[in-house]
Amino acid sequence: MSADRLSVRHDDGEPLLQVAELRTHFRTPRGMVRAVDGVTFTLERGKALGVVGESGSGKTVLARTVMGLLPKRNVNTSGSVRFGGVEMLGLPQRQMRELWGTEMAMVFQDPMSSLNPLMKVGKQITEPLRFHMGMGKSDSIATAERLLRDVRIPEPRRRLNQYPHELSGGMRQRVMIAIALACGPNLLFADEPTTALDVTVQSQILDLIAEQRRDRNMAVILVTHDLGVVANYTDEIAVMYAGRLVEKAPTRTLFSNMKMPYTKALLRSIPKLNLPSHTRLDTIPGRPPDLVHPPRGCRFAPRCANARDRCTEEEPPLLAADSDDHTYACWYPVGSPEYREREEQLKRLDDRRVLAAEEAG
Amino acid sequence: MRYLLQRFVQFLIVFVVVTFIVLAATRIGSSDPLRDLAGGQVNQERLEEVAADYPYLDKPLVIQYGYWMTDIVTGDWGYSYYQSQSVMDMFKQRAPATFFIVFWALVIGLLIALPVGIYSAYRRDRIFDKATSLSTFATISMPSLVVAVLLLYAVAARTDLFPTVGGSNYVAPWDNPYEHFKNFFLPALTLGVGIGGVWSRLLRADMVLTLQSDFVTLAKAKGISPMRILWVHALRASVLSLITSVALQLGALISGSIIAEQFFGPRGLGDRLVFAIQQNDLLTLQAIAVVIVAVVVVANLAVDLLYAVVDPRIRAARALT
Amino acid sequence: MTTTSMDTMTAMPDAASDERVATKRRLPKLGVTFGVLWLGTLIFLAVFADFMPFIRGYGQSLDGATNTRFGPGIDFWFGSDTLGRDVFARCIYGARTSLTIASASILVGTVVGGTLGMVAGYFKGWVDRVISIFTDSLLALPAIIIASLLVGRFDVLADSDIKFLGFGFGWMSRTWSVTIVFSLLSIAPVARIVRAQTLSLSQREYVLAARSLGASTRRVLWREIVPNVIPALTAVIFTGIAILLAAEGGLAFLGYSVPRPPSWGSMIADDRDKIEEAWWTSIFPCFMLFFTVLAFNLIGDRLARRFDIREAAL
Ligand SMILES: Nc1ncnc2c1ncn2[C@@H]1O[C@H](COP(=O)(O)OP(=O)(O)OP(=O)(O)O)[C@@H](O)[C@H]1O
Ligand code: SF4
Ligand SMILES: [Mg+2]
Repeated sequence: MSADRLSVRHDDGEPLLQVAELRTHFRTPRGMVRAVDGVTFTLERGKALGVVGESGSGKTVLARTVMGLLPKRNVNTSGSVRFGGVEMLGLPQRQMRELWGTEMAMVFQDPMSSLNPLMKVGKQITEPLRFHMGMGKSDSIATAERLLRDVRIPEPRRRLNQYPHELSGGMRQRVMIAIALACGPNLLFADEPTTALDVTVQSQILDLIAEQRRDRNMAVILVTHDLGVVANYTDEIAVMYAGRLVEKAPTRTLFSNMKMPYTKALLRSIPKLNLPSHTRLDTIPGRPPDLVHPPRGCRFAPRCANARDRCTEEEPPLLAADSDDHTYACWYPVGSPEYREREEQLKRLDDRRVLAAEEAG
Repeated sequence: MRYLLQRFVQFLIVFVVVTFIVLAATRIGSSDPLRDLAGGQVNQERLEEVAADYPYLDKPLVIQYGYWMTDIVTGDWGYSYYQSQSVMDMFKQRAPATFFIVFWALVIGLLIALPVGIYSAYRRDRIFDKATSLSTFATISMPSLVVAVLLLYAVAARTDLFPTVGGSNYVAPWDNPYEHFKNFFLPALTLGVGIGGVWSRLLRADMVLTLQSDFVTLAKAKGISPMRILWVHALRASVLSLITSVALQLGALISGSIIAEQFFGPRGLGDRLVFAIQQNDLLTLQAIAVVIVAVVVVANLAVDLLYAVVDPRIRAARALT
Repeated sequence: MTTTSMDTMTAMPDAASDERVATKRRLPKLGVTFGVLWLGTLIFLAVFADFMPFIRGYGQSLDGATNTRFGPGIDFWFGSDTLGRDVFARCIYGARTSLTIASASILVGTVVGGTLGMVAGYFKGWVDRVISIFTDSLLALPAIIIASLLVGRFDVLADSDIKFLGFGFGWMSRTWSVTIVFSLLSIAPVARIVRAQTLSLSQREYVLAARSLGASTRRVLWREIVPNVIPALTAVIFTGIAILLAAEGGLAFLGYSVPRPPSWGSMIADDRDKIEEAWWTSIFPCFMLFFTVLAFNLIGDRLARRFDIREAAL
């Protein structure tokens, strides 16, 4: 807050966030867990990026690394995270603190465990206001009340004096969003903001985030394992598998022309509306890879119906598809002759099974 | 409310059982409690006098307990024929010294535990944590007797700052704060060091867990200063074991005060107690035990209340029952 | 809370194991090694003291030394005390006294307390409630006070001609009475820990399975509960001995422990006012007490970590 004040630039030339070759490895007794392993992407001001991947693919670790929230112990980080032109990796905590809340904020997965259970909601919202904006008591309370109204919480005045356990799950998540929005950040991380919520509340929360994004011209990184969620709320989608970005495209392009068999599988595993959404989706057969010893070649190969010898030997590079802003890492992408051939085979196999079943029945 | 009532009844039972055990213990090996009470080798006249004051001493123990508890509750704590002093007067005279030893020991213990516990959890596995972990382990392995000897050897015998063996006297803090400090520092430190080590380790363990929780990460993501996160957010969520232990240790501190008092003075209840045990001064013994157990019981109830103050969820859960 | 095997297939090391890895490094193996070596040597010396040429008698005054004439040196390693006795020899014989009492008491306490705790935790209901009130009461007793009171009363009892079921109490030496009192005092903490362990164990699937398959209560207790409680008990035993050693010091200091052979506490108590002229008379017993308590604590702590029980409020 003094001489070495950070000079985060908000002119238009600079993209808001540039992440390059980011790696986050955890030193554990089992060995190095490569939770994030070479991730590169860029996010423009005011845009929304969806980060999708199944459970354990490293989405949360990615978000926390970018934001600098990971504890230092037993963690190795390398690569680059430039925010408004400033390299953030390796920045001392003291300087990060100036950015947290004011420049970037985060909404966590589970609103129950992420709000301080022992502190009144009002205090949790006013805290960053007083700390960053130097607001006085009454000012900050008024602002907090306005924020709660912004996130559509009824009777905001009364809520300020309640504890988190007195609120419903959806309400808590709204409070968390209010906290995140308090100091007007330019970048909001929403880490599975709806996973712990009722299906009926989910879309309300997502709508709320989208609305606030428009109003504040704020960039959003929406993390989820549900491709269906990001479809309506993002400009661009990045698909993660085993710590790597395996496909990235503008939302519309991705849905019309997805290249990765993994992305396709994810799409098929979109949860049914009547299922509680936090039940782990295991519709992709097989289990996520061991991040200490990831498979050779394509990391998805052991589970990919389309895998061939090359897949297990050589790692596919990130290639551009038809348009420059669509990249993917796959030897035999959806639509390639090899993919079609395999699809045919599987289909025949299926048909035969159906026939056999019919005959038997 | 119902919850507290339940707890209260529970503690009441414990209180009765414990005080009864003490009463029974004083009667072991004694064929004539009347004589014990009267002061041992005394003439028949005196014995009859005492018997007139305490006619229940030849009744069964349970009956005796009833009489005695009634007396205690009605404020008649009895008379010590050895000391020629009423037990209540003895308390008025002796309790302050013990109170201040225990009080300052508590303060010292917390002054050690809070910063050490919090900071070593915050800087887990760093040099500070390792150093304090080692030294708290040493202090919890150091009986207060050993602490007393070391303090005596290292401080009292070498400087003129503090009175040496048994030389401390009771001085009220409001009479002369400096003298009070001089007389109470070593005995309080004797008890405070070990307890500080225990509490540091307790607090550190809970803090380490709290610091891993999501709400601490969220607080960090708000950009609040680490000091505020530690002292406001994390500490409050980590103090339950600590305050439980404070209540649990209170009884141990009061009885540990015997050693501190014998070693350095000031002469308080502990000192009185040593003689009371030697002389089997029944009523004095029983009264001191009642007070200690009462303090422990009240402290435990207070902790139950504190739980609800610290954690609104507990408050809510109790309101429902 | 048994040890989770580290070689499970999941890629996610849970927070608990992460914690364990970290704490493992906190007290290096050095501590346990020291503990074992110290205790090994001490116990060896204490057991064979009578046959060691370099350990003098604990009661005999040194030639020509009627007071604290000798400081620590080649001849008298720890010096001589007020009555001209060899402090080193007395420290070793002190170990014999203190260790015997502490370990005998903790064994009795463990057996009785362990049984009570197991019964309370397994059967729950009113059995649990009665036992809990009993242990709560024992825990609420001010330990040092009740211990000195009881030892004092047992002295009187031993001297009296009171008979119980036809038996007198003449046999009740200080060693006996202190051991009895310490056994009593160690019941409650052990019972508490074992009760908690049993409670959680009896919810385990394999125990529930065994019960639902109609295994007899005795069988379930012996086959499923006891073997799983014992690891925790080893830690409790070591930590318990450490606590009893400290308590014995305090008791001796108040004059209620075993006077002959001397215990460390009584040595400290006897000579503390000589600290300015002859520091060795009380500092050495202090060191013995400290390092021995430390050794037991170090081993107990390692066992507790190993078997995953929290530092219990003993
Ligand atoms: N502190 C840590 N130490 C070791 N490994 C970790 C740590 N934190 C995360 N990991 C590992 O990193 C991988 C990625 O975890 P992450 O939480 O980012 O997954 P995710 O994509 O967010 O999954 P979910 O949908 O379940 O939230 C996991 O395999 C996890 O085991
Ligand atoms: S590279 Fe091969 S294994 Fe990997 S996704 Fe593409 S087809 Fe499947
Ligand atoms: Mg996640």
